[in-house]
Amino acid sequence: MDDDLRKINIGIIGLGNQGKIHLNNCLYMKEANVLGVADVSRNALKLAEKRGIKKTYSNYKELLKDKQIDSVIISLPNYLHAEATIKAAEAGKDILLEKPLARNVSEGELILSSAQKYGVKLMLGYEMKFNKSLMTLHDEIAEGYFGEVQVADAVNVSSGPFSPRGEGTRPLSVPSWWFDKEKVGGGALLDLGSHLINLLNWYFGEVSDIKAFMGFMYNMDVEDIATCVLKYKNGPLASVRVGWFSKGFFQSVQVSGTAKNMFLSLAPSSIFRIISSDIRTKLGWYDHNSMYSEIKYFVDCLLNDESPSPSGEEGLRDLQVIELAYETASRLDKI
Amino acid sequence: MSLVSFVLVNNQEKDSMKEAIVRSLDLINFDFTRNIHRILIKPNMCYYYHPSTGEVTDPQFVSAIVDIFQERFNDPEISIVEADASAMKCKYAFSMLGYDRIVKEIGIKLINLCKEESTEISINIKGSKFDILIPNIFNKSDLIVNVPKIKYMDGVKISCALKNMFGCNANPGKYIYHKELNDIIVNINKHIKTNLVITDGLMVCGKYTKRLNMVMSSKDPVANDAAASRLMGLNPRSVKHIASASKNGVGNMEFNPVGDFNDFITKFPKRGARDDIRKLAASLYSRIFY
Repeated sequence: MDDDLRKINIGIIGLGNQGKIHLNNCLYMKEANVLGVADVSRNALKLAEKRGIKKTYSNYKELLKDKQIDSVIISLPNYLHAEATIKAAEAGKDILLEKPLARNVSEGELILSSAQKYGVKLMLGYEMKFNKSLMTLHDEIAEGYFGEVQVADAVNVSSGPFSPRGEGTRPLSVPSWWFDKEKVGGGALLDLGSHLINLLNWYFGEVSDIKAFMGFMYNMDVEDIATCVLKYKNGPLASVRVGWFSKGFFQSVQVSGTAKNMFLSLAPSSIFRIISSDIRTKLGWYDHNSMYSEIKYFVDCLLNDESPSPSGEEGLRDLQVIELAYETASRLDKI
Repeated sequence: MSLVSFVLVNNQEKDSMKEAIVRSLDLINFDFTRNIHRILIKPNMCYYYHPSTGEVTDPQFVSAIVDIFQERFNDPEISIVEADASAMKCKYAFSMLGYDRIVKEIGIKLINLCKEESTEISINIKGSKFDILIPNIFNKSDLIVNVPKIKYMDGVKISCALKNMFGCNANPGKYIYHKELNDIIVNINKHIKTNLVITDGLMVCGKYTKRLNMVMSSKDPVANDAAASRLMGLNPRSVKHIASASKNGVGNMEFNPVGDFNDFITKFPKRGARDDIRKLAASLYSRIFY
């Protein structure tokens, strides 16, 4: 078969906020063919049917039985990552799993060994790695544009899971698993910090030491504020600051090197960028944002039989850093 | 004309809040000698926002009110009430905003109105039928205290005392009422009569969030909201639910301000004509693109 005509048959498991974005992106991608979707919500499945998806499942295990499906995108609550990913690996499907890899390191190790055992590709959904500005920054750091980077700072502050959500004009409540420590595994650090830690690890390599502080302004069992200082083995001191406490959304990366400094504000987007993106979408010229690029890259890796990155191993390293941060924060709390 | 008082809170300490609240109640001649046993306090808990955003009532402010009632009335039974909404669930909001902790400290009750017995009332608005659930607990109370925030709100222009009572409807799917929100607000206020409004104006949501350190009190929710609109630079007659509430006998739109009204009127972060144009442009834009 001619390479140009090859397509990857995809199944999407979980049609929450992220899952819907993945579905939309896949539908715009000529190399991807969405064969089926699975979700417990009837409304979500109806929405997929309206978008032309013929096979819809209320149980993802039924979707995994479909031999025509090559790979799955898993966008489920954290507590279902291990079970669903292991089942998908057993079914021989390549997997794009939304971050974080799992709720904790031991669960992450189970996922990884299962992917290895069944020989399937596993990629983690860290879309920041596909943001053009952050990719350029990676190349500039590697090429020595900043000299030697001594200090870096990454920030992601928003309402996190408490950002108002809705279906059309109908507001929706925050899913209950976000309030359950057992099900979510961690707070703002696991949710938002995992993105930043993965990014900084990509830029600077291996973390050799860590100090962390957590805040609990909303009286939950998980942190809603976290600040970590990471010491990189062959690199800078970097801080990661995250929070679920703000009505506003702010995301930035700053690097300071011996030759140059840079501050990159990623959010909120400029009015010009929002308008231009909306006009392009309205005209049918789909906006190739970082989440689109992420899936395109995953599909390309499958078509070319290459190992995708961020890999499961990277996801596990991120979890190890986060687990260490939780440990050090609880130790510092007792001082 | 109904009295509406405006008092400055000197600092963020609870004692200062109590002092300012007592002064604001004295200015409207609130009678503490009445025989009051059951008190219901309805704060604004519209979503999981922090009180410093100006969106929700500060639990510390509510705690100060509870202290005053416990000191002035003879062994009152006080409950803080709120109902689930489409996006906000009391179970989580009570704990996240710190009400769980407060009730433990001061020995009062927290009530999710959706779990209380209610009476269904059908309302006909422009040919459409709406059912609202009025919790029976309101009929069994001696004093209903409305503790709203003061903020601009799309669709109804302002949110203060009258809008806060919209949250007492025990139907959690409140989004269905948004099409006729002004009329629904008036109807709920006709069925649940606020006896006392104590507005938490510590942080306000105006053109931007601002620490105003204000307490505003009134025995009349319509007068209270009319005064709030003036503070926000709006003519109360242009706010549909205030004008309609006045017409329907919920209260009196004419008010007599007492205390530091003129100070706060200059300090409130008002929206101007430019903001309205910007808002209109944004609304047209979202209709075209979303």
